[in-house]
Amino acid sequence: MKILVPIKRVADPANANKVKVDDDATKVTSEGLEWVMNPFDEWSLEAALRLTENAAEKARVGEIVVVSITPGEGDTDHIREALGKGAERGIVVPAGTDEQLDASVVAKILAAVVKKEEPDVVLMGKQAADGDSAVAGTKLAELLEWPVVNYATNIATSDEGKTFEVKRELDIGVQTLKVEGPVVFTSSDRILRPDSIKNGVTPDDFEYADLGDLNSRLSNLKNIMAARKKPIDTMTLDDLGVELGVGTEYVKFTLPQGRSGSAEFVETVDELVQKLQTEAKVL
Amino acid sequence: MPELDLFNPTPEHAQLREMVRRFAESEVEPQALEHDRTETFNVALFRKLGELGLLGITAQEEFGGTGLDPVAACIVHEELSAVDPGFTLAYLAHSMLFVNNLAQNGSDAQRKKYLPAACSGEAICGMCMSEPDAGTDVLGMRTTAKRDGDHYVLDGAKMWITNGAISKTELGDTFLVYARVEGAGRSELSMFIVEKGMAGFSLGQKIEDKLGMRASTTAELVFEGCRVPVENRVGEEGTATLHMMRNLEIERVTLAAMSLGIARRSVEVMNEYARDRKSFGEPLNRFGQIQRHIAESYAEYMAGRAYTYLIASQMDLAKPGQRLDTDGVKLFCSTMGKNVADRAIQVLGGYGYTGEYRVERLWRDAKLLEIGGGTIEAHQKNMTRDLSRLEKLK
Repeated sequence: MKILVPIKRVADPANANKVKVDDDATKVTSEGLEWVMNPFDEWSLEAALRLTENAAEKARVGEIVVVSITPGEGDTDHIREALGKGAERGIVVPAGTDEQLDASVVAKILAAVVKKEEPDVVLMGKQAADGDSAVAGTKLAELLEWPVVNYATNIATSDEGKTFEVKRELDIGVQTLKVEGPVVFTSSDRILRPDSIKNGVTPDDFEYADLGDLNSRLSNLKNIMAARKKPIDTMTLDDLGVELGVGTEYVKFTLPQGRSGSAEFVETVDELVQKLQTEAKVL
Repeated sequence: MPELDLFNPTPEHAQLREMVRRFAESEVEPQALEHDRTETFNVALFRKLGELGLLGITAQEEFGGTGLDPVAACIVHEELSAVDPGFTLAYLAHSMLFVNNLAQNGSDAQRKKYLPAACSGEAICGMCMSEPDAGTDVLGMRTTAKRDGDHYVLDGAKMWITNGAISKTELGDTFLVYARVEGAGRSELSMFIVEKGMAGFSLGQKIEDKLGMRASTTAELVFEGCRVPVENRVGEEGTATLHMMRNLEIERVTLAAMSLGIARRSVEVMNEYARDRKSFGEPLNRFGQIQRHIAESYAEYMAGRAYTYLIASQMDLAKPGQRLDTDGVKLFCSTMGKNVADRAIQVLGGYGYTGEYRVERLWRDAKLLEIGGGTIEAHQKNMTRDLSRLEKLK
């Protein structure tokens, strides 16, 4: 099974207080930010690794190609990170600036990469931790005329990705779908539960360790060293036949107001309700 | 010219640091206080270091290692020590004192027999040098080895052996033991591989009530007519003093890296606290006395870090000859780490004196680094002797 995993680099959500907007408030400035792999993409990378391995024998049985569309020169740090965790190949697409890469452009670029690579599955984060638009996966499926299953919590296949049984959690319960590949999946954090992935190769009774606070497995040092020899290809927008053309115009960014930091204690619930109505005006 | 990053000279070094930091924060940190309190070694967590490929970091790939350089070894020690120096000391004893030592000095047959299990974490290993009556005066050791046919018979006791025990009653698995063959001169030591289960090899005592480094075990090991096969002698008789000196260099550099981890964490803790805590209506970091603690600590940490990584990047694990500066980095960093942890406690006041804020543990752990792997007095002695031979500094 061949899986394409798109990886976006985002400003570290743990340091969101460092984000600033420029003087005319039309864009977020990237100066001084620390870049990390989009945590939602990390979940998908982990799911893709589990789909393409025999975990009991620690053997890879499929192929993962990670693709990263990167503003400017084409930073490969996060592709290397994914290769260090076990992915086989990387593709970097240097393209424009962050503002020029809205969901529709990203979907067009990814669609062009899919046509060249012909994966069985595209497995991507349900959204990016910066823009939070949660559109690119669905848009990509539309361009490819592939099925899409968003927010997958479980993915199972027993025929190397020809068909899948997928679960999603909805307000009314758990929905189970059967879908034929090729297909686009976006994943929910529940995809990281120890029993969320069944690939027909790893024995069903194999227990993945709980990842705790991590969004994907740790690399191991041997994989990090082996990743040095794994190929990272560059595909330009010209190679892919895609033009930048932003469908979304950002009018204004404002930072959230700082909190006052003051706290007031009340004696009774009645007093609390009254203050919430008259002073905080939230009721 | 590309930007020089002394601390992460290649992208792989940077990824190694990131990987170890994530592991440290997610899996090592949560268990650190408990193992300090109960004075126990977390064997299961230690074996995970093997899964991550860290236990044989400088050993040859063909024997299960990853064949990396001293800078990589420093990165792992610095990052682990920032959350749990005691646990890191067990890592050092295993991966530097045993694995690296055997990888550098052993024969292929010995490497093939012992390194794979040590690199995977299946075996927990250490090195035996100090004795109840011989510490800094290491050549004054009294453990003897007497040839008896195709065996040597070892007699003596070794003290302060990290990983000597893995619990109160159970020995570690495999050790490199320095001893003097009968009739050999003062500086003609030999080295032997001794395994748990060999007749005459036993746990004397697990040392209890240590001030710090309580998450690693320390033991006295006893050799009473311990029979070791001749093929377990590492190198020729009388040549192990060179092995020892060569391996003590990487030991000192990685111990210095442990002090760097302690210092980094202490700076982070005091910096955050002084930003958030208010006194007389102002954050603590507006007060000059606190500013001095924070700024001097950071500068000293960075000075020690630059010195240590520079020396690590110049080291050749196969050759001795870096004594002056490997002593120098440990001399500077061990006391620096202790002082920085001390200042962190001072900045935090009463909170700093409690376990929850971590710096009291780091402070207790930091003290050991002025003693173990060479006392600071031994570094001063050796450095002064080496310096006295120099006319000018380069």
